[in-house]
Amino acid sequence: MEWIQTRREWLSTAAAALAGSALSRAAAAPASRVAIARCKTYNSAELLPAMQKLFDQLGGLERLVKGKTVACKINLTGSPTYRIGYLPLEDTHYTHPQVIAAAAHLMAKAGARRIRILESAWSTADPVEEYVLRANWEPRDILGAAPNVEFENTNYLGKAKKYSRLTVPFGGYIFPAFDLNHSYEDCDVFVSIAKMKEHATAGVTLSMKNCFGMTPCTIYGTGAGVDEPSDVPKGGRTLVHAGNRQPSKSAPAEKDPKSPRVDTWRVPRTVVDLVAARPIHLAIVEAVKTMTGGEGPWIREDLQPAAPGVIVAGLNPVNTDAVCMSVMGFDPLADRGTPPFERCDSTLKLAEEAGLGTRDLRRIEVIGTRIAEARYDFAGIRERRHKAPVPPMGIRG
Amino acid sequence: MAEWTPMRWPDQWTDPSALDLLHATAIDYLLIGKAETLAAVRARAQQAGLHVADAAPPRVTRVKGEWPGVKMARGGGRAQASAGPTGVPWVDSNGWLVRLERALDPQSSIWVDAPPAENARLAAGSYLSAIADSASRGGRWILSLDGQLAAGLAARNPQALDTWKKIAAAAGFFAARDNWREYRAVGLVGVVSDFAGENEFFSRELLNLLDRAGQHYRIVPKGRVTEASFASLRALIYSDAEAPAPALRKQVLGFVEGGGILITGPKWGQVPSAPAKADEHPRYSWHALGKGRIAVAHEDPDDPYQWANDSVVLVSHRYDLVRFWNCGAAGSYYTMAPDRKQAVVHLLFYANRGPDQASVRIAGRFRAVRAWTVDGPLKVATESQKDAIEVHLPQVGQYVALELTNGMDSNA
Repeated sequence: MEWIQTRREWLSTAAAALAGSALSRAAAAPASRVAIARCKTYNSAELLPAMQKLFDQLGGLERLVKGKTVACKINLTGSPTYRIGYLPLEDTHYTHPQVIAAAAHLMAKAGARRIRILESAWSTADPVEEYVLRANWEPRDILGAAPNVEFENTNYLGKAKKYSRLTVPFGGYIFPAFDLNHSYEDCDVFVSIAKMKEHATAGVTLSMKNCFGMTPCTIYGTGAGVDEPSDVPKGGRTLVHAGNRQPSKSAPAEKDPKSPRVDTWRVPRTVVDLVAARPIHLAIVEAVKTMTGGEGPWIREDLQPAAPGVIVAGLNPVNTDAVCMSVMGFDPLADRGTPPFERCDSTLKLAEEAGLGTRDLRRIEVIGTRIAEARYDFAGIRERRHKAPVPPMGIRG
Repeated sequence: MAEWTPMRWPDQWTDPSALDLLHATAIDYLLIGKAETLAAVRARAQQAGLHVADAAPPRVTRVKGEWPGVKMARGGGRAQASAGPTGVPWVDSNGWLVRLERALDPQSSIWVDAPPAENARLAAGSYLSAIADSASRGGRWILSLDGQLAAGLAARNPQALDTWKKIAAAAGFFAARDNWREYRAVGLVGVVSDFAGENEFFSRELLNLLDRAGQHYRIVPKGRVTEASFASLRALIYSDAEAPAPALRKQVLGFVEGGGILITGPKWGQVPSAPAKADEHPRYSWHALGKGRIAVAHEDPDDPYQWANDSVVLVSHRYDLVRFWNCGAAGSYYTMAPDRKQAVVHLLFYANRGPDQASVRIAGRFRAVRAWTVDGPLKVATESQKDAIEVHLPQVGQYVALELTNGMDSNA
């Protein structure tokens, strides 16, 4: 089994894939193992062995991380001051700190030299440590999980002198390249640690959609500078969602400014561009606890907490997200018009057509808990929810 | 000192029967115009034992304030909230001004003069914000009615009477808790300044914006620094345009050596250690001193918004005294009884509609929590945490008070 694809290998694979038609690229898209584990609580006595087993089933972390700098993109979407009801953010829409800590601990145990926890904190250049305190987290729980664990807020220039330009090997659906915080280049291994959720714009948010947050809002955000990046990020990524303007001129512009200015078209494609530019070596999608109805408290749906009690991990993000979709009760081969992509394009399909990985479960070896046993019926809940009237939003401020 | 509950009498209320509205309310001081048409009102109000004047009494400082609440942008078909530099709604509040005036003259009572804008039509919740914003900080808003409400009340319109009932309840709530005025502010940072002259704009705006940043502060007038002034604080902010006098410098550096943080600018003068290489900050250099640290801004203070927000991170959110969830544009004022047996945390929600399913985390160790709206006790759920308590609120209006018993708060 192939473990780490180097950037060059990735480029080569993707470039080769581009040579054929979308169909042939899809047929040739890589397939690798995906592991599923049941885990009902975030108690480390249960979580650590479950995650250890997941990684062992994928061939062991040591081969992936030993002696390496590992960058982990976590999911802290939205402001830390908004919750679903009274529930902690990590029980609904943030990657749980215990999962992050467990991953860091196991990576260090497997010989990782340096573990960097990355997130583009909402509308701020504050350190991630300060950001998570506002969510009522204790950053030391993560920083103390292993030696050499550190955070970086990637929503701006951060600790580097300049942004890193990462090119989309297949040319990109929307963006040919991105200017990102240095952390996404200055690592040997890139890990996406996501939360399993539905998503209002992209249908689902899993290991690939998690990477949408790599884009710094100083360049791709509402308050981005016109010519040069702004110093601090302001607001969200309306620019990418709506295409109402281009990124700062210092960064690569869109390939075709006349392409649709519709978020349900743009977001899935941008995600694929990002995942191609910054390949994911290990995808971890946690749903010990999560939510149904959307990706965060701001979504106008009947949002409900959920406890699927499952974690999925894989070495290919498309494969991993395909298995996650099946765990959620959705068909990973679904296209626009079919749940959960009623109104949007499938990020998985676009990724497959770009040659990043297959979403065909027949080609993916699933190990550990069987999908049927791990299933939590997001799809059924979604169907029932869509038959009911939209609830009042209420006031969350 | 007893606190009045003042009201500006509407000029169009020339019929003395309008005084019936004040029956059984806390309103006891009427500012009535000098017009002859109001003579009968003046006479009957005096007969009723109300204080009547056209100015504030001695020992009351009357300050010009803003109508508190989320500032709405002008123009356009739909009302839209103005935003601050990071896009959060801009909130006008007089809380900082009441606190500053009280700090500058502790013997004085503070009345905030902030009448509704001309042609304003305000909801009861907006009046509640106006009353609570000042009263929670120990001042009083001069109750001033908008023209439509005044006319509606004169006509005994039921909707206007309902709004009046809510206004009277809010005024009565604070009048009945006059002892809360003696409670001391619990703060993380002390703002040391003369708040005057060249420093007036920056220091005063800094207080305003520290409130908005959720940073709890103590006001330390420069000429009145004592040993107790810095007690239990984690940091001091000195942003004045001139270097401190030697005695003040010594006091502040003593605070730092004992483990505190000083946040200051280049005008502070010589710092007794070289900048630390680690902990680099884009706008400050850190210097170690004793058990504490000094953060010296690279440039002279010119942006109080930036300073207020920087101070929160320089001190660290770890020490937040109050954290909000699902609260929108909110503010808080954390106070402790002189005997330290009880804390009161005032929660202010400045949007037109109060929050739903909000949570508030209060730092400190408390045995019991009682929550109040101006209408009475409020049932809340609580959750004990390490050195804090989290309170889950149901749908509420613009103001909630939390009485926390048996405080063992380490920061107070």
